[in-house]
Amino acid sequence: MLPHLDAAFNLARWLTRNDHDAEDVVQEAMLRAFRFLDGLRGEAKPWLLTIVRNSCFTWLQVNRPAELAGFDDRTAELHLVDEGSPEALALRQCDRRMLNEALAALSAQFREALILRELEDLSYKDIARITDVPIGTVMSRLARGRRLLAESLQAISNASQVHR
Amino acid sequence: MTREEAAGLLHAYVDGELDAAKSVELEAHLAGNPAARAASERLREMSAAIRDRADYHAAPASLAARLRASVPTAPEEIPRRAGWGAWLRPAALIAAIALVTWVVAVVVMRPGEDERIAQEVLASHVRETLGNRLYDVASSDQHTVKPWLSARLAFSPPVADFSAHGFELQGGRLDYVGGQSVAVLVYRRRQHVIDVFVWPAPAQKAGQALTRNGFNIESFAHGGMGYWLVSDLNRNELGDFARLLAAAP
Repeated sequence: MLPHLDAAFNLARWLTRNDHDAEDVVQEAMLRAFRFLDGLRGEAKPWLLTIVRNSCFTWLQVNRPAELAGFDDRTAELHLVDEGSPEALALRQCDRRMLNEALAALSAQFREALILRELEDLSYKDIARITDVPIGTVMSRLARGRRLLAESLQAISNASQVHR
Repeated sequence: MTREEAAGLLHAYVDGELDAAKSVELEAHLAGNPAARAASERLREMSAAIRDRADYHAAPASLAARLRASVPTAPEEIPRRAGWGAWLRPAALIAAIALVTWVVAVVVMRPGEDERIAQEVLASHVRETLGNRLYDVASSDQHTVKPWLSARLAFSPPVADFSAHGFELQGGRLDYVGGQSVAVLVYRRRQHVIDVFVWPAPAQKAGQALTRNGFNIESFAHGGMGYWLVSDLNRNELGDFARLLAAAP
């Protein structure tokens, strides 16, 4: 019945990577959302996810600052033209567990962009609003995130070939 | 279009975020460039792989239950200041005693049925306005809304249009209040949404006005039906609307 609670929890769970912490963060964020209902402009889902996302980053800064340290969008420049076919193969062969592990291993900024895009089906504009960056940054984070994901899937796939 | 330009647009293209003109341009580039076409296919596969195989973590039921219990009565945070510790402890004790006395008084002196229903209808109103799911059937025609509700409930709620009085019927929805399925009629006055909860109530009840969390609530029972009105509309106008509903045939 609570609107967008699943989306809120999904985002928090992917950012904190832990059920218990996600529950705490979402509960606090939802109560804040209800208290600041007056601030609601436009669509409810991006508005609510903005609050949840900010709560998650505040929580990460306090509890796991190392996970946010050292991130710089300038290192996220596009190198797109050279995707080789072994990666495509790794993608086709990867199972649920491998994909979830690779996604969870991305840095929080790439992870949130991919989760909001692929699992919540939000537009670049909404993602830009939720993550508080320009649309161009959303584009480059998605591009870089997908590229890193492909690389790490290939690494996982290579490692499992060795063990076989 | 150069290779670099095309590469920069590929993600937006796969994500359906390119405008029509750029899409046509990029498609022309892809048609003449197998490597770029393969790259766009891989991006589609990647996108599909995440959608299909990444875990979607739905909220646990326990979290929803906890929120439902705390949302309508979320306490305001009390700002803390340093140096107040000495005052805080006796103050907290007095507050605790006052709270316990109040709770006991409420429990002993009143069954609290009305308060419970007030909280439930308020929570429903806030949730639905927040979620933009105001109605299951959207219509300003009472002859559409009434049969829709009657077909889904064990009773037939009275539905009337009061647009002549400035209260426009917007639609209706179903909800669950006080342990039963109820009808919710949604009206609008200027920018204010008014939810009217209706369910059978055998006993007549005089009008009662409440204010909770800045929302105004009116309730009464008339002609075999109980009515609960919730809105952020001001108290006087909501009272007027309650009287209009009560006077309707």
